[in-house]
Amino acid sequence: MIKLAFIAMITMFSWSAQAEENPFAVDNSDSFKDVAGELRCPTCTGLSVLDSDAKFSVQIKDEVKEQMDKGRSKEEILEFFVERYGPWILREPPKEGFNIIAWIIPFAMLFIGPVLIWFFVWRKKVTVQTFGVRSDGEIVEEMKRKLEAMSKG
Amino acid sequence: MLANYGFFLMFLCCIASVYGTLSAIVAAYWRHKSLYMSSKLALTATAVMSTIACALLFYALQERDYSLLYVMKNSSNDLPFMYTVTAFWSSLEGSHTLWTWLLALVACVAMWTHSKENEHVMPWVSASLQAVLAWMFYLAVTHSDPFVQQLPAPANGRGMNELLQNPYMAIHPPMLFLGYVGLAIPFAYAMAALGYGDITQGWNKTVRRWTLFSWILLTAAITLGGRWAYVELGWAGYWAWDPVENSSFMPWLMATALLHSLLVQDKLGHLKRLSIILAILGFFMCFFGTFITRSGIISSVHSFAESSIGENYLIYLTSVMFVCISLFVWRAPSILPSETDKVWGISKESALIITQFLVLSFAAIVFIGTMFPIVSEWTTGQRISVQAPYFNAFAPWIGLGFTVMIAFGNLMRYQSSKIPYGKRIIFGSVLFAIPLTAFLVYMGDVMQTKTTKNLVAQFIGFYLTSWAVGCLLGDLWVKVKDLRYNWTLFFKRNLAYFGAFVAHIGMMIAIMGFLGNYRGLEKKVTMKAGETTTLFGYEFHLKQGIQIKKDENATLYWAPVVVHKDGQLVGTVEPAQSRYPTKPDQSFNEIGIEGDFWNDVYLVLVDFDRRTGNQITFKININPTVRMVWLAIIVMCIGGFIALFDLYRGNKSRDVVAGNWEEKV
Repeated sequence: MIKLAFIAMITMFSWSAQAEENPFAVDNSDSFKDVAGELRCPTCTGLSVLDSDAKFSVQIKDEVKEQMDKGRSKEEILEFFVERYGPWILREPPKEGFNIIAWIIPFAMLFIGPVLIWFFVWRKKVTVQTFGVRSDGEIVEEMKRKLEAMSKG
Repeated sequence: MLANYGFFLMFLCCIASVYGTLSAIVAAYWRHKSLYMSSKLALTATAVMSTIACALLFYALQERDYSLLYVMKNSSNDLPFMYTVTAFWSSLEGSHTLWTWLLALVACVAMWTHSKENEHVMPWVSASLQAVLAWMFYLAVTHSDPFVQQLPAPANGRGMNELLQNPYMAIHPPMLFLGYVGLAIPFAYAMAALGYGDITQGWNKTVRRWTLFSWILLTAAITLGGRWAYVELGWAGYWAWDPVENSSFMPWLMATALLHSLLVQDKLGHLKRLSIILAILGFFMCFFGTFITRSGIISSVHSFAESSIGENYLIYLTSVMFVCISLFVWRAPSILPSETDKVWGISKESALIITQFLVLSFAAIVFIGTMFPIVSEWTTGQRISVQAPYFNAFAPWIGLGFTVMIAFGNLMRYQSSKIPYGKRIIFGSVLFAIPLTAFLVYMGDVMQTKTTKNLVAQFIGFYLTSWAVGCLLGDLWVKVKDLRYNWTLFFKRNLAYFGAFVAHIGMMIAIMGFLGNYRGLEKKVTMKAGETTTLFGYEFHLKQGIQIKKDENATLYWAPVVVHKDGQLVGTVEPAQSRYPTKPDQSFNEIGIEGDFWNDVYLVLVDFDRRTGNQITFKININPTVRMVWLAIIVMCIGGFIALFDLYRGNKSRDVVAGNWEEKV
C-alpha cells in the first residue's frame, strides 16, 4: 500500500516536473480522451471540451487531468462535474427522471413503428373503397340485391 | 437617402404581397381569371421591387456606405472585394432579406412556368406563396430591417465576422436559402391540392421537379456548411449535430421522404395525403429551424423573451400549423388514392413505406434531440445538453437500415413480391462485396483503427455498403437487359431511374465515408523547431519556428510542417493562426490540410511560444475517408441533377383534371 502511494507520488511529481518544463503539456491517453469527450465545452455549441481550446474548456481539461492523476475513475470524475455544473455539463441527457423520455421515444419509435406499419399498411393490401366501384364482384352483388328487392316490391 | 428608398421598396413589397394573397383567394373562390392575373402581376411586381431593394443594399456594401447600420456592422475598409459581396448575407438582417428576395424570385418563376394542367389551382398556389412573402416582408420592415440608418456615418465599419471570411461560407447561405425557397413551392402546391380538394394532373410532375431542385441545393448547401466547419473551425470534424446544423438537416430529410412518397404516388396513385403532409412539414421545418436558431430559445428558454423576433416567428409558425392542420382535416378526406389493383404486401411500395419510416424516424430523432433541452428545462427547470453522443447513438442504426433498404428496395418491383434475378443478384453481391471490402480496407488503412469495437463496425459497414452497391449495379443490369442493352433508349426513357441509381450509389459512398469517423487517430503535440514526431506511420517534421506572413487583410502566424508517410513525401501542411486588424486581440485558426484520397492530414496550430516562436503546439488529426464524403455528396447532387431532366416521370398521372375558369356573362 505504501509502495503504491509512493509510486503514485513519484508519477505525480514527474508529471508536474514535466509540466513546468513544458508549458503546453498535453495528454494523449485514451482514458483522458474518453472522459473529456463526454463533457461539453461550456462556451461553444456542440463541441466537447476535448475538441475545444476555449479558456473554459482548457480549465476543465486541466481539472480532468488532475483528477485522473489522483486515480479517480471516469464515473467519479463525471459525477464531480455534474455536481459542480449540473447535468448540463454532460453531452447527452441523463438516463433517469424526466430526461429518460429523450431515450425512450426514439427506441419505442424504432421498434413499434415497423409493427404499426405491418398492421396498418402491409397487411391491409387493398381495402380502399373509392366511390363504390372498387371491384366488379361487389357491384354485381349489389345490383342483384337491388333487383331482388325491386322484384319483391 | 438610399436607405429610405430601400425601406420604401420593402414596404411596398409587403403591401403588394398582402394584396396578392387576398386577390388570389378571392380568384380561387370565384374562379375569376382576371383577378388571378392581377394577383400574379402583384407577385411579379414584388419580385421586381425586392430585386431593386437588394441591388440597393449590394450597392451600399460596394460603396462602403457606413450610414447604413448593416453595412457598418458587416463591412470595413480593408475587406476584400469578394467579401463585400458576401457581406450581404453575413448577418441576420441581410440573410433574411436574401431569403425573402429569393423566395419572391422563385415564386415568380414558379407562377409563370406552371404546366397547363395546373392552371386552375394556380390561384391557391399564388395565395400561399404570397402569404408567406407577406409575412417575410413584414418581418423585413419591422424586426429585421437591413436599411436602418446611422447618422452621421462613421469612417470605418466594424468588419465582417472573421470566421465567415471563407469561400465556402460565402456560397453556403445563398444555396441553403435557395433550397429552403424551393421547398416553398411543394408547400404551395400542397395547399393548392387541399384548397381545390384533390390532386390535379401535372401536380406530381411539378412538385417532383421543385422538390428535386431544392433537394439538390440543400444537399450541396449542407455539405458546404460541413466543409466550412472542417476547414475553418479546427476540431477536425464536419458535423457536430448542433442545432443550426440540425435545422438545415430536417428539411433535407423531409425533402428526401417527399421524393420517395411522390414516387409511389406516381406509380400507383397512393400516398397522396402523405405527400401533402411531407410537403407541408418540409416547408415548416425550414422556418422552424430559423426560429430555434434566431430566437435564441436554443441557448436557454429564458433568452427567448429577449428579442421580439422570436415571438413573431412563434406566432407565424403556430398560425401556419393551425391553417395547415385545419385545411388538411377539412379537405384531405376528399383526396382519395387512385384505384390500383394490388398494392402493399411484399413489394416495392412497401419497401418505400419502410424507407419513409426510417427517414421520418431519423427526422424525429433529430427533432427530439434539438428540442429536448428546451422541453426539459421548461418542465424540470434544470438545464441539460443534447449533443453529438446522443445522435450518434441512433444514427448508425438508421444508416444500417438505409443501406439494407436501398439494396432490397431498389431490387423489388411494384405490385409484385418477386424480384427478377433476385437470388442471383443478392448472392452475387455477397461475393462481389468481398473483394471491394478488401480493397477499401487495404487502401483506407482500416486496420489502424484504435479499438476493436470500432474496427468491427468499420468492417461490417464497408461490407454492407459494398453489398448494397453490388445490388444497385445488379438492378441497373436488369433494367438495361430488359431493354436489350439499348443504352440510348435507356438514357432517353429512364433518366429518373438512372439519377436515383447515381444518388443511391453516392449515399453508399457517403456512409463509407462516415465510417472513417470511427477511427479516432489524433494527438496533441508540442514541438520545437527541427523536431520530428510520428503518428500512425506519418512523420511530421517542423523545420523552423513561427513565421509571419501577410494575406489580404489578415496577418498569418505560419508554421509549415513537412509530412512523410513510410518515407514518401505527402506534402507540406501549412497551419497558421491569423489576426485581423478589426479584432487585434483575437486569433483565428487557419487549418493546414494535406493528403491523398484516402486520408487527410489535418493540422491545427493550437498555440506557440510568444517570445521566441520556436516552440509550437499542434493538434494532429489523421482523418480517413473524409474525402469520400465530399465525393459522395458531389455524386448525390449529380444524381439529383440527372433525375431533374427526366421527361416522363409523372406524365401518366391518374389524377383529376382541374375545372375551368368561370365564364363571364
